[in-house]
Amino acid sequence: MAVLLQALRLIDSHRINPPKNFVYTGHQIVDENSSSDFPIEETIDCSDFLASKGWVDLRCMSGEPGEEYKESMDSLGEVLQSSGFVKAVLMPNTHPAVQTRNEIQFLKSKAANWFSDLIVEAAATKDTKGEDFTDILDLNQEGVFVFGDGLHPISNPDRLMKILQYLQKFDGILFDQTYEPLLALFGQMHEGLTSTRIGMKGIPNLAEDIAIHKNLEILRYSGGRLHFQTISTKGAVEEIRKAKKEGLNVTADISLYQLIFSDEDMLDFDTNLKVMPPFRGKEDRDALIEGLKDGTIDAIVSNHQPQDIDAKHMEFDLSLFGMLGLQTFLPAMCKLADEITWPLLISKITSGPEVVLGQQSDKLDSLTLFDPEEKWVFDKKSNKSLSSNSPWYNTELMGKVKFVINKNKFVKI
Amino acid sequence: MSQLSTRHLLGIKDISTEDIQLIFETADNFKEVLNRPIKKVPSLRDITIANIFFENSTRTRLSFELAEKRLSADVINFSSSNSSVKKGETLIDTVNNILSMKVDMVVMRHSSVGAPHFLSKHIKANIVNAGDGTHEHPTQALLDAFSIREKLGDVAGKKVAIIGDILHSRVALSNIFCLQKLGAEVMVCGPITLLPKHIGSLGVKIEHDVEKALQWCDVANVLRIQLERQQIKYFPSLREYSLYFGINRKMLDRLDKEIVVMHPGPINRGVELNSDVADSEHSIILQQVENGVAIRMAVLYLLAGAK
Repeated sequence: MAVLLQALRLIDSHRINPPKNFVYTGHQIVDENSSSDFPIEETIDCSDFLASKGWVDLRCMSGEPGEEYKESMDSLGEVLQSSGFVKAVLMPNTHPAVQTRNEIQFLKSKAANWFSDLIVEAAATKDTKGEDFTDILDLNQEGVFVFGDGLHPISNPDRLMKILQYLQKFDGILFDQTYEPLLALFGQMHEGLTSTRIGMKGIPNLAEDIAIHKNLEILRYSGGRLHFQTISTKGAVEEIRKAKKEGLNVTADISLYQLIFSDEDMLDFDTNLKVMPPFRGKEDRDALIEGLKDGTIDAIVSNHQPQDIDAKHMEFDLSLFGMLGLQTFLPAMCKLADEITWPLLISKITSGPEVVLGQQSDKLDSLTLFDPEEKWVFDKKSNKSLSSNSPWYNTELMGKVKFVINKNKFVKI
Repeated sequence: MSQLSTRHLLGIKDISTEDIQLIFETADNFKEVLNRPIKKVPSLRDITIANIFFENSTRTRLSFELAEKRLSADVINFSSSNSSVKKGETLIDTVNNILSMKVDMVVMRHSSVGAPHFLSKHIKANIVNAGDGTHEHPTQALLDAFSIREKLGDVAGKKVAIIGDILHSRVALSNIFCLQKLGAEVMVCGPITLLPKHIGSLGVKIEHDVEKALQWCDVANVLRIQLERQQIKYFPSLREYSLYFGINRKMLDRLDKEIVVMHPGPINRGVELNSDVADSEHSIILQQVENGVAIRMAVLYLLAGAK
């Protein structure tokens, strides 16, 4: 099946290209002029839309196995597809944790019919407790090359060092959401003026800054490949910027929602905004944007963490951390596009994540096409997730994915 | 103005200076009532109030209950020690069950910051926050400011030092907001580990030397050490705290002026306050307790009118 994509406005890392006709050949998207061998069966007018290479999310969660009621692999597959993502890294924090060949095989079988490509992040330590290693080499035999403890930082310096060393046998990547747990103990939100005003135990920037600094020193000693997930502070950006200049093998991502929300939004005690790392202040946001622009930060992630209503509909300090991030990803980008520009945003969910994963490719074999102005309501009817823990649930949003292509799969949303 | 701008009292942060003045004027009237031979008025007849305490309390609960009974309200009491909360029932379920009994107002104390705010979004009754974690304790701040006004004539222009465990105190935060709204200058004083890192951003002075704080202030509001809310160690020992941050009579005698000493209770005698201060002529601690009933009567009366 060949589809003519008429007047496609393709966004790359540098610009929104002028409208041009492309053909989806059934495997990749090529210039109309070089596609005469493919008889066109369908023509789609793309002139009102924007498009880019298919999107990649480096951090999302399923509840399955163990907490299928929050998000099953089936529902996550639907969520990814309808949100425009052609590839996703799945965190290991399930019950049991993703830490043996069994879990890897189970997840792969569940994702076999997905539209999106699945990359499983396996736990680096048993039960993601930061102590004993998982059978890393054995897991690599199942094709796993991303390791990490997902929601939990590997705060033991000796463990981190040895994992970074051990992974070098097959160029594995260690993903780490880095903070010092003892400095974040009992913390519920960013420590600052707002936490002081509402008497809420805060999580200081220091908790992240000090841990990033420590882990970079360890990386300098051990070698290996370290990727910092969801950094949130000005100090973290500065540390990673210096490390990259020095040539350390390090990359970093941020949650998109760090650019949307701030600690001031906590005044209303909305548990849907309780996330880790917490939403921080303006100075940190400015630093994150600078980091995106100068390449210190390679990728933007959804940090999609479904929680059922009973985990959120309660007192703030008792509620669990986490927020849905995938289905509102495009609307959130639409809110930022004027300030940050589409090419920069898109590069951080296409070429940026490819660099992190070591999977750079110039081939255009995936596509996400979207209408940045279409309005829709995120509610029970439109929600594909099994959870609804989003501050934007039951609100009207702008920006809708229209269709996605991933190699031989073409889906209209 | 004869009505509050809000139908809940969740915190001092959320109410206006005019609201505070109205509460004080109403409390003046109720204080006069409390000194009559017959202390009861029919203002809240047919109003049912639930006192829901998920945290231990003696004086606040008694003070609210007395205020409610003086106003002729029907009162039910609930505390977590004999509730189904320990069996795993959620806050919203517990309160909904109580509200099914047609309760008009809820006075709630809870260990979680924002718990009354959460509740206010989900139930129809008026809510009075009787303390939420380390956030606010608005009626305590109101009665403290009311007591300063009574003792010194006015709150505006007075210097008030809040001394002790500021980090874990809901009284401190509510007092800061209330005193600032009424035009007082506020200082916080205590070990640096017991002061929130960003407390200066609230526009308060910061001091770590108790004697200097006493020299500066007109009123010393001494807070208790909240050992039950300290999840980790913040100072080496009660002995050291008492030696370096406790207030004794000698300190007051060294001052070249008279200051007023307050404490929200219960006092850790010999820790933050020695008995020779707590029971001295400087102390208005028992007046605070008396004023607490009048202030709570005023708050309940005005909120009932805001329905």
